[in-house]
Amino acid sequence: MLSHCTTMTDGDYDFLIKLLALGDSGVGKTTFLYRYTDNKFNPKFITTVGIDFREKRVVYTASNGTTTGKTFKVHLQLWDTAGQERFRSLTTAFFRDAMGFLLMFDLTSQQSFLNVRNWMSQLQANAYCENPDIVLVGNKADLADQREVQEKQAKELADKYGIPYFETSAATGVEVDKAVITLLDLVMKRMEQCVDKPPAEPANGNESTKLSDEQPSEKKCAC
Amino acid sequence: MSASDCSLKMDLGLLQSQERERVLEVLRRDKQLRTIEENRIRRMKHELQELRRRGAKSYTRQYGERTCARCQRPLGKFWNSGAVCFGCSHRICSRCRVGVGTEDWRCTVCHACREVKFRSGDWFIEMRANKFPVTADKYETTGEKLLQAYSIHSSHISVIPPTPPPHMDQQFLSRLGDFKDSKPFTKSVEDLMVSFTSQIKKISTSQNDVRGDLLSVNSNRRRSHFQYSTQKSLSDTEINKSGHLYHGPSLPNLFKKDSDQEESSTGAEEETSFGSDYSIGKRGSNSSNSTDCGVFESVSVTGELELSLSYNAKNSCLEVTVGAGRNLSYGDPKKKKCHPYVKLCVLPEKSSKLKTAVKKNTTDPIFNEVLKYRIERHLLLGKRLQASVWHSRTLKRKSFLGEVLIPLDGWRFEDKAFQCSNWYPLSLKVKQRGSFIICDQNNIDMGAKDSKRLRLLKKPSSSYSSVKLLNCYSCFIIKLLIRFPSL
Repeated sequence: MLSHCTTMTDGDYDFLIKLLALGDSGVGKTTFLYRYTDNKFNPKFITTVGIDFREKRVVYTASNGTTTGKTFKVHLQLWDTAGQERFRSLTTAFFRDAMGFLLMFDLTSQQSFLNVRNWMSQLQANAYCENPDIVLVGNKADLADQREVQEKQAKELADKYGIPYFETSAATGVEVDKAVITLLDLVMKRMEQCVDKPPAEPANGNESTKLSDEQPSEKKCAC
Repeated sequence: MSASDCSLKMDLGLLQSQERERVLEVLRRDKQLRTIEENRIRRMKHELQELRRRGAKSYTRQYGERTCARCQRPLGKFWNSGAVCFGCSHRICSRCRVGVGTEDWRCTVCHACREVKFRSGDWFIEMRANKFPVTADKYETTGEKLLQAYSIHSSHISVIPPTPPPHMDQQFLSRLGDFKDSKPFTKSVEDLMVSFTSQIKKISTSQNDVRGDLLSVNSNRRRSHFQYSTQKSLSDTEINKSGHLYHGPSLPNLFKKDSDQEESSTGAEEETSFGSDYSIGKRGSNSSNSTDCGVFESVSVTGELELSLSYNAKNSCLEVTVGAGRNLSYGDPKKKKCHPYVKLCVLPEKSSKLKTAVKKNTTDPIFNEVLKYRIERHLLLGKRLQASVWHSRTLKRKSFLGEVLIPLDGWRFEDKAFQCSNWYPLSLKVKQRGSFIICDQNNIDMGAKDSKRLRLLKKPSSSYSSVKLLNCYSCFIIKLLIRFPSL
């Protein structure tokens, strides 16, 4: 899946996909992304100021629909947001520009897990649509002895929202790639749905608790 | 939108200045990425437009049901009768279909449209617009808005021009391979000169294949191991220029100063010595453009130029507003003088040029002039706007202070964001008459030495050369600008 590009400053890619990591302060969003992009781990806690982003080029192999087997160069722009409350209005303003979300919590902090619900409603309010593509990520899976959130609990919540769930560790790198790739896959599929679905009934104020159904609102190519 | 802008601004306002600076730094990085992305999209959409045009039914052909809307091949009544594309409802022959999904298909153009929609992220923008109605003409990211709100305050944020050359030319890259087996650049200047002249002779013998690679003929004669090449991405005018060379009957004539050259056109100060050095009299009053291709009184290029472009559909005019310049370098560094003016050209035609008034004694001139080009909208495709800044001198000489090249195709004149004026950093002339590319880092000194020798050798005949080292994609490019003595 990885591809190493010598320069990241050219336009030689097929897609620019913008993902965004969100969640409570200290759940490990920055280290998670650092692990993903650079495959390194920094155990120090440096609070993110407002926003930041990291980039990575990957080769995506289409697994669905029309273009199965084709490979594309994808430039990932991974937005990292500050979890701290005081940056909240700034960070949520960036939600609307992201195509997919890594909603993260800390497996060793029950509170961060409880806050997932709040983040979810933040997303519904601020993301580009009511039901964006989200992956739920429980981080710090390596700290098994300090674990406060059980897998079953988290899985249930994820199922309720109809989103995938991963237990990752930025320290060991476990499942990190998989979580991001799963999200990328969801976004790529969404893209195809958006363009190919004929204009259905106009998107009205639908009940937004169920996040799994897509919301086709794209017209066909009219040329 | 403006309300949310305000609140965003407040958000940043609440941060400490250090924090704010960090956020802005991130946003600037984002801006760079977005610039690359915008260029990529522009390229993509341009290609789509090309495809569309090729596929369009033209008026010359009769618009019958019985031809394929894409390839114009006739369709039979029963046999190969074509089918209607779901995208555009045109009748399409079986050859012009691209499979979409397992059974579905689209015509080539609809398919390309669809691809562009994916790849440009338009699908996302449209989705987003459903939820956050777009008031401005252009889709703006939060980062963009924030950055704009703040860049007013801090002047050191430079606006990135719309088209930095985003990637190295394929041709160029492939050529790098050639260098692997070439021996070091140790040839003497005599060889250099000989092969250069042989290049020109070669060129003048084969007028027909002007395009493409001819400009980079690899000369193996006399074991000279450099290549005479032009950078293709910038070669429009270069080709024109070389085109002029072909007309030259022989070398001595080529460099002969032509007296016809000194005609009186709008700017007498324009018809400078550079131009007349190689001009060959075939050009009309546009000859001052020839100065574009020569060696300049190369002062260092600094500063920026403020421009805004719009298209007036009513009288089919391209209107270029030349706002101001800032931080220009001194046209006359010794006396610290600068009388700048701006010249506009639409490349590659160069058929007409427009100039602003000369501003005296300033490196931050304010022009505020609207220059109008009469040009049909569709003719803008493939054209580039060249805005060059010159220092006007009393003794007929002018010096080049920098230029901005703006591609006009893909320029969305309706787009508000494209209409507002931008500061473009001035860049060096990119069109040299020849450039020698040396890829081996170790050889640079050699190259430089040789070029020094070139200067020394040729000094009596007032030849001139300069070496520029450009670190470009980790290749070192040495450009030797050679100006031949006027005979």
